[in-house]
Amino acid sequence: MTASRQALQSMLDQLDALQIEADRCAATVRAARRLNRGSALLAASVLMDSAVEHYRGNFTNRAMYTPLLISVLTLAISAHGTTDRRPASHRVRHGIAVAAAATGLAGTAFHIRNVLKRPGRLDWQNLFYGAPVGAPMAILLAGLLGSAAEWVRDTPNHMPPRLFGIPAGRALAALSGLGLLCTSGEAALLHFRGAFHNRAMFAPVTLPPIGAALLLNAAVAPKCRERWLTRVWLQLIMLMGLTGVGFHAWGIHRAMGGWRNWSQNVVDGPPLPAPPSFTGLALAGLAALGLLRDHEDA
Amino acid sequence: MPDRYPGYDVLAKRHTPSWNEQTRRVIDRRLAVPRTPRFLSDHEFATVQAIAAEVVPQPVHRPPVPVAALIDAKLLDDIQDGFRAADMPRQRTAWLRGLQALDAEAQAAHGAAFRALTAERRCDLLLQMKQGALKHDSWGGMSPVNFFKQRLLHDIVEAYWSHPTAWNEIGWGGPASPRGYVRMGYDERDPWEAAEAHGDADAASRKNRHVG
Amino acid sequence: MPMQRPERTAMLADPLAEPRGKDGRAPDVFRPGGWVPMRQYRESEPVDFLIVGTGAGGGTLACRLAEAGFSVVGLDAGPWFRPLDDFASDEAEQSKLYWTDDRISTGANPLQLGSNNSGKAVGGSTVHFAMVSLRFRPEWFRARTLLGYGADWPIDWREMWSYYAEVEQALKIAGPISYPWGPKRPRYPYRAHELNAAALALAEGCEKLGVAWSETPLATLSAPRGLAHPCVYRGFCVTGCSTNAKQSALVTWIPHAVAAGAELRDLSMAGRIEVDAAGRAVGVHYFREDAWHFQQARNVVVAGYAIETPRLLLNSTTDRYPDGLANSSGLVGRYLTVQANQAAWGLSKREIRSYKGPPSLALTEHWNYDDRKDFFGGYCYMSQGPLPQLWANTLATARGLWGAPLMEAMENYNHQVGLKIVGEMMPQANNRVTLADDKDQYGLPIARVEYAWCDNDRRLIDHALDFMTQALQAIDASDIWQQTDDTCHINGTARMGIDPRTSVVDADCRSWDIPNLWICDGSVFPTVGGVNPSLTIQAIACRTANRIRALAARGELERRAHV
Repeated sequence: MTASRQALQSMLDQLDALQIEADRCAATVRAARRLNRGSALLAASVLMDSAVEHYRGNFTNRAMYTPLLISVLTLAISAHGTTDRRPASHRVRHGIAVAAAATGLAGTAFHIRNVLKRPGRLDWQNLFYGAPVGAPMAILLAGLLGSAAEWVRDTPNHMPPRLFGIPAGRALAALSGLGLLCTSGEAALLHFRGAFHNRAMFAPVTLPPIGAALLLNAAVAPKCRERWLTRVWLQLIMLMGLTGVGFHAWGIHRAMGGWRNWSQNVVDGPPLPAPPSFTGLALAGLAALGLLRDHEDA
Repeated sequence: MPDRYPGYDVLAKRHTPSWNEQTRRVIDRRLAVPRTPRFLSDHEFATVQAIAAEVVPQPVHRPPVPVAALIDAKLLDDIQDGFRAADMPRQRTAWLRGLQALDAEAQAAHGAAFRALTAERRCDLLLQMKQGALKHDSWGGMSPVNFFKQRLLHDIVEAYWSHPTAWNEIGWGGPASPRGYVRMGYDERDPWEAAEAHGDADAASRKNRHVG
Repeated sequence: MPMQRPERTAMLADPLAEPRGKDGRAPDVFRPGGWVPMRQYRESEPVDFLIVGTGAGGGTLACRLAEAGFSVVGLDAGPWFRPLDDFASDEAEQSKLYWTDDRISTGANPLQLGSNNSGKAVGGSTVHFAMVSLRFRPEWFRARTLLGYGADWPIDWREMWSYYAEVEQALKIAGPISYPWGPKRPRYPYRAHELNAAALALAEGCEKLGVAWSETPLATLSAPRGLAHPCVYRGFCVTGCSTNAKQSALVTWIPHAVAAGAELRDLSMAGRIEVDAAGRAVGVHYFREDAWHFQQARNVVVAGYAIETPRLLLNSTTDRYPDGLANSSGLVGRYLTVQANQAAWGLSKREIRSYKGPPSLALTEHWNYDDRKDFFGGYCYMSQGPLPQLWANTLATARGLWGAPLMEAMENYNHQVGLKIVGEMMPQANNRVTLADDKDQYGLPIARVEYAWCDNDRRLIDHALDFMTQALQAIDASDIWQQTDDTCHINGTARMGIDPRTSVVDADCRSWDIPNLWICDGSVFPTVGGVNPSLTIQAIACRTANRIRALAARGELERRAHV
């Protein structure tokens, strides 16, 4: 499955490469589609993670359905964007992406409010077990990536793509780097809660920060065509995100009752959908690298 | 009194991950406890039933928890508590002597065996026992107060609340292994826990149908 | 060909009917029906250490001594359970964990024994303890000198601090990141558990009254450990943990002891310690599989907890020791000191469902560390989570409800919220364990336990009940009532000290009278403090093991260097 997808991917990439020669603006489309894919992975992760977590919270507040809805929409626009080869932004896609980002901000506020209501306020107990303060960041990032995809795609011919007045490649490298850092911070908090009882739990708190540093360096450093280390490192993080699902599945298996006790262990055990967030952000990072490579002045 | 947890039946969870094999064995054995006495005599057994009717009065609309049978089983197995007051014999002797003394008190006060008395008179005798007002010779040095508190009350209450029917009435989750609980906070309920009516018996009843 | 499974029958065998620790193997507590090899010693060959009792004291010591290379045999009167196989989710069934043999309890304030404070199983009471793992306040080790009551311990608190850390690490205690009271301690190995509603209620009450609260450091896993599962919050903790999350001696010290070469014999009731003409212990008579046996030993350790320990010593009289062993001071059985265990209960409008999760997830030690009180000693109080039988019995016997009022009160079960203390009672010589005329199923004289509270105990209880009532009022609980008569944890019947005339053992838990007779359990506590004793018992056992190693290295195991 993955192999065939990868094969397909590489074919698409080769086609893309041919097109670059013909029309440089296709590069921005390719980067945009990559961003769409990154956004899709993040949105999928948010969809499943918030479904489980908010189910655990019994959806006591109607607002708890919001991330589910918005992440489904984000998935839809990302899918649409991924198949769309036109070098022009799409108003609905952009609108939803901005809404997703706004949802992330509102969610963070909701979660902070929840934590502050509990006895102990901002203590470790509530950071561990209250509404996770860092979690809505993922939907914010998904929205930002989706938004960035539209901006980049909308770049007029022969113009270097820009985001917020900054060359798009650099801006995106910074954004995905910061995203990796934040997500790694959340993994650190939760793996600390699990007392790092398995050595593999150190991976998501060591690999991504290094990847973030490499990306941030790419964002500010002088132009450099081949960032092979950054590229390989991001691919490593992509792989880690997928492997993480396997580790978490094992964690559920080794809890009392294992998978037979899924109604408890899927909710209480290590979150299955969380690790692919890293994959999504690494994809975004790779898109940024692509932009930087294709547009020397980006 | 309306059901606080309408339609909740902890036995519906018997085949869910909340129950394991060893628990099923234990509860099955308890539910199948013989309804006829094995340790006590028929009269003593009936007297325990009469006492239990006062201590843990049960509603008529459902099969009763067999309190006397559970106590008879406990005496047969001779499972003890691990301590007794200096003026208390071991539990088998204590129960036999206590039942005998209660009958003697009933005879002396009302001219009939305890089980033949009206509910009001039974209750009154039990209250006197609790308050240390019973002095008949047949107590044989055993303290009626200690008998009431440490044997009679203790054994009847523990027998009654060892039964799933009693768990249903108080909305307890019941056996829980391998599956325990996920939602821990205020007003939080896992789907496999009893739902309280809170004024909407139908909604609770719908939820309670799905605890299994 | 079908796979041969010789364990099958043994797995289904009743651990209470037939011993499991024999024929060179022991039950594997982590695998259903599993076995691990266990070294076997001959009865006729003296082992270095014969330990009577395998709970917090004996189990810990057996592990550490075996690891140090000594030959060790442990005896336990109770069965050797595999929790995954043998523990049902049922209060009544699980009473099989308790010491329910006959005992007489008397005095002005007779103790309730059995379920709450006495275990009969390999692993002892730790198999059903509430897992609360607290350190003593440092000053308590010099209570007489610094605080003016009780007696000084012969051990410095700073030394204890390192042994506490050792035990916390060994049990992977799940505790708060920073503990609000006492001197700095290393970070707990595992993170604290999520608070249940009962614990949140305690926290809110404390915040309203302006005292600190904390997650309770608990000996139950908040993350996986080896083959043990993390806690699933099933709430049956004090009736036996069926997931192995609870870090009892049964699943921690004992598997390590067996792996290190110790032999443990279950369903083995010690009846008498044998002493030779020179006045030295030479072994123990014990009852197993319908016969009395005699195991020879170079050292005997008694670790049966504060009732069975003095009972065995008093049951082992000889011409030379007519008052029982190690009893020249006359203090064996005296200074029995329990802890106050009073509670305030009320009803919350919200659903509490305190049956979920470990019963005592939050606590406050405020009154252990605040000395502005009209009594000696201190107390902590914790959130509660009684299961239905226990709760019904509490309402019936402590609140005095029966009939319709009892049935109605029980209907409020899911709204019940309670706070319960572990409070320091004063050591008193007249609170004691003696022998009764009655005999138990082994033909041994049973223990007679006498207890009376002193004025200080009553003042502490009044203070605690008043404060906890305020805490419940502060969170708008209704129908508040006070449970005034409960006690827990039994300690102090073979106290340690620096003077053979006023103590039974020295700081190394070695008896003053017989140099190769040791006592290692809660009996050695001169004072009990206002926290649960299990962590301290285990820390003392770790210290004793270290001291024994040091003494052996100096050749002082055979005889005392100087008294």
